[in-house]
Amino acid sequence: MAGTSDIAIVGFAQTKSVRAAADGEVQLLVPTVAEALERANLDRREVGFTCAGSCDYLTGGPFAFVQNLEAAGAWPPISESHVEMDGAWALYEAWVRLQHGDIDTALVFGSGKSSPSKPHEVWAQQLDPYFLAPLGVDPVTLAGLQARMLLDAGKATELDFAEVAARSRRAAQDNPNAQVSGDFDVDALLKEPYVRAPLRRHDLPPISDGAVAVVLARGDKARQLAERPAWIRGIDHRIEVHQPGMRDLTTSSSTTLAARKAGYDGGPIDVAELSATFSPQEVILREALGLPAGTNVNPSGGALAANPVMATGLIRIVEVAQRIADGDVNRGLAHATGGQVLQHNMVCVMEGE
Amino acid sequence: MTGRITKSTLEFPYSRTVGPVVGAFLAALGEHRIVGIRTRDGKVLVPPLEYDPNTGDELDELVDVGPGGVVESWTWVAEPTSKHPLQKPFAFALIKPDGADSALVHAVDAGSIDKMSTGMRVTPRWRAESHYFIDDLEAWEPA
Amino acid sequence: MSDAPPKEKLVMEHLVSLTYEEELTPILERYVDALIDGRIVGHKCPQCGRVYVPGKGYCPLCVVPTGEKDEVEVADTGTVTGFTIITPVAYYGQKETEPFVYASVLLDGANSNLGGQDIVGIPHDQVRSGLRVKAVWKPKEKRSAEGVSNRGWGGVGSAIDAFEPSGEPDMERAKFEEHVF
Repeated sequence: MAGTSDIAIVGFAQTKSVRAAADGEVQLLVPTVAEALERANLDRREVGFTCAGSCDYLTGGPFAFVQNLEAAGAWPPISESHVEMDGAWALYEAWVRLQHGDIDTALVFGSGKSSPSKPHEVWAQQLDPYFLAPLGVDPVTLAGLQARMLLDAGKATELDFAEVAARSRRAAQDNPNAQVSGDFDVDALLKEPYVRAPLRRHDLPPISDGAVAVVLARGDKARQLAERPAWIRGIDHRIEVHQPGMRDLTTSSSTTLAARKAGYDGGPIDVAELSATFSPQEVILREALGLPAGTNVNPSGGALAANPVMATGLIRIVEVAQRIADGDVNRGLAHATGGQVLQHNMVCVMEGE
Repeated sequence: MTGRITKSTLEFPYSRTVGPVVGAFLAALGEHRIVGIRTRDGKVLVPPLEYDPNTGDELDELVDVGPGGVVESWTWVAEPTSKHPLQKPFAFALIKPDGADSALVHAVDAGSIDKMSTGMRVTPRWRAESHYFIDDLEAWEPA
Repeated sequence: MSDAPPKEKLVMEHLVSLTYEEELTPILERYVDALIDGRIVGHKCPQCGRVYVPGKGYCPLCVVPTGEKDEVEVADTGTVTGFTIITPVAYYGQKETEPFVYASVLLDGANSNLGGQDIVGIPHDQVRSGLRVKAVWKPKEKRSAEGVSNRGWGGVGSAIDAFEPSGEPDMERAKFEEHVF
C-alpha cells in the first residue's frame, strides 16, 4: 500500500520465548507493553490508538483477547482494535490508522501461549471446514507436502533444509529471547528420523509462549521520542488461494507482490527477518523476495528458534527495528505470514533516517 | 511441571449448511463419485468451489472426475493424531483425480512409506456407510 | 453431470473438539491452596488499593504488577450485587435441568465480583441485589482445583458450592452499585 512514509517504530520489547510460560498471557504482556512504552518515552495515556494480535483458541479462553487489553490499560477508555492474526497485522492496522493524521502515536502488541493446546487440533480449524478441517490436516502435514514438492522440483535438497535449521539455531545463540539455539552438525541432523517425511524435527518450529510490543509514532513525534527511529518506508500484504492444491506451494507470489508494493524488488539489503516457520519455507521466501546470496537472513534465529504464534511476525519486525535503532544496519526487511504454507504474506521495509 | 494441572475441552457441535456446490460434492461421495466444477476458462477445480478463486466468477457447472488419480505430493504420517482419518501410519497427499486441473488433500492408505511416490496412481476406497462427510471417501489406495 | 442435492441433504454435521491442559500459574496455585484451606485470597494493588479476587498478577486500572507481597485475605461473606434466574435450555453440553440463580457476589474486602454464583436457601423470587450472603463450603476433603483455570475468569466452584443468606440486613445500593457486573 502506498501511504505516508513518515511513520516509525520508536519503542519495542519482547519476552524470551519458552516452551511453557508459568504465567498467564496478560501477565506476559504487562511488563512487555510497559517496557516498550518506556523505551519510547511515552506514557500509556498519551497513546492515540492501540491494536493487538492474538488468537483465543491457543489457550482456549473465550475473550482472552479482551483480557489482554488490560496490559495496555483500558482506563481511561482507549481507542483500540484487535486482529485474530499475528501482531504484524495489528501493526499494519495501526499504520493505516496513523495515516488519518489526527493522532501521532500507536501501541501494538502480539502474544500467544501455544503450550496449553495441541497445535494439530487448533490449526486444523483455520482450514476449509468442509474439505480439510474434518480430515485433521495439520500444519506439519501441509509443510511436508510443500517440502516434497520443492525436492521433486529440484529446487532444494534435504541438506539445504538442515543447513537452514543449523544456521538459524547457531545464530540464535546470540539472541537472548530465542528458545532453541545451539551448534548442530548438519550430518547428524540428517541422520534423525522423519517426523512427517521429508521433514525432520529440526525442520519444524518449536512450540512457544511469548509476547512482543511495539510503539509507532509519526513524523516529528517519532524524532522526539526516539534517537534513531526505524522508519517504515513501505508495508504491504497479499493473500493467495486457500486450497493447497490450487496454488504453487513451491513459490510465494504473494510475498513477491507484497515486497514490490512495499518498495523492495530484490537486490542488496542489510538484513532480512523472515517468518519461515518450516526450514523449506526459507528457501521459497529467499527466491520470492529475490534476496541475493549472502544476505544476512534471520540473525535472530527466526521462527525455527522461537515461534510464539501471533507474535512471530511482529518479532521479525522488531528484530529489524532493533538493529536499525542500534545503528547496526540502515535498511532491513521483515516478513510475516498467516494461514498455512505461506498463504498470506506481509513485507515491511524499514530504514534509519 | 510441579503445580496442579487443569484440563478442559472446548466443543463446537457444528451443523454446517453446505449449499448446492459443496452439497453436490458430498452427495456424490455417498454415491461413490467425485465431482469437480468447471471454471469459465475450462479448468476443472477439485474440490469444487462456489467461486473461481482467481477471477471471482460464480461457478455452477459440476463435472464428474476420477475415479482414479495421480499423487502430486505426499508426506508420511508415522504417528497419526486422533483427528486424522486413519489410525495407522498413512500418507497425506495432494491427489489430482483424472479429468481435474487441481489436487485435493486426502489420505493414501499405502501400508508403508516405501509404497509412496510422486506420480503414482491411486484409486478411492469408499466408506461402507456414507455419513455425508469428506471421509465417505475413506482413503485412496495404490492402484 | 450431477444434480444439486435434495433439501434434506444440505447439512453436514461436524463436531470440533479442542483439548487443553496446563499447569496453574503460581498465583492461582496459591489461590487454590487457600481455597482448600477454607480461605479466599486476592491481590491488593499497591497503587490504588483495590482488591482483586483471585489476584491477576497486575491491577488492570493502574497497570502495575502485583505479586505474593500484595496477597490479602477477604471474607467468605458478601453481597449479591446483581443476578438473574436462568431457565435451562437444552443444547449440546447443557447439564442443568432446573432454573437456577446466576449471581455476582461482592465479597467483603474485595473490589471485584465473583460471577456466576448459585444462591441457595431462599426462594428464587426473593433473591435480590443487596442480599447479604455467606459461602456454603464443600467439606474440606471434597475441595480441589477443578474448574479453576488460567483463563482469568476466577471462580470458587472447586471449594464453594453456593452462597446462602447470612441473615444480615440488606446492603444499601450506594455501597455496591459500582460493582454490579
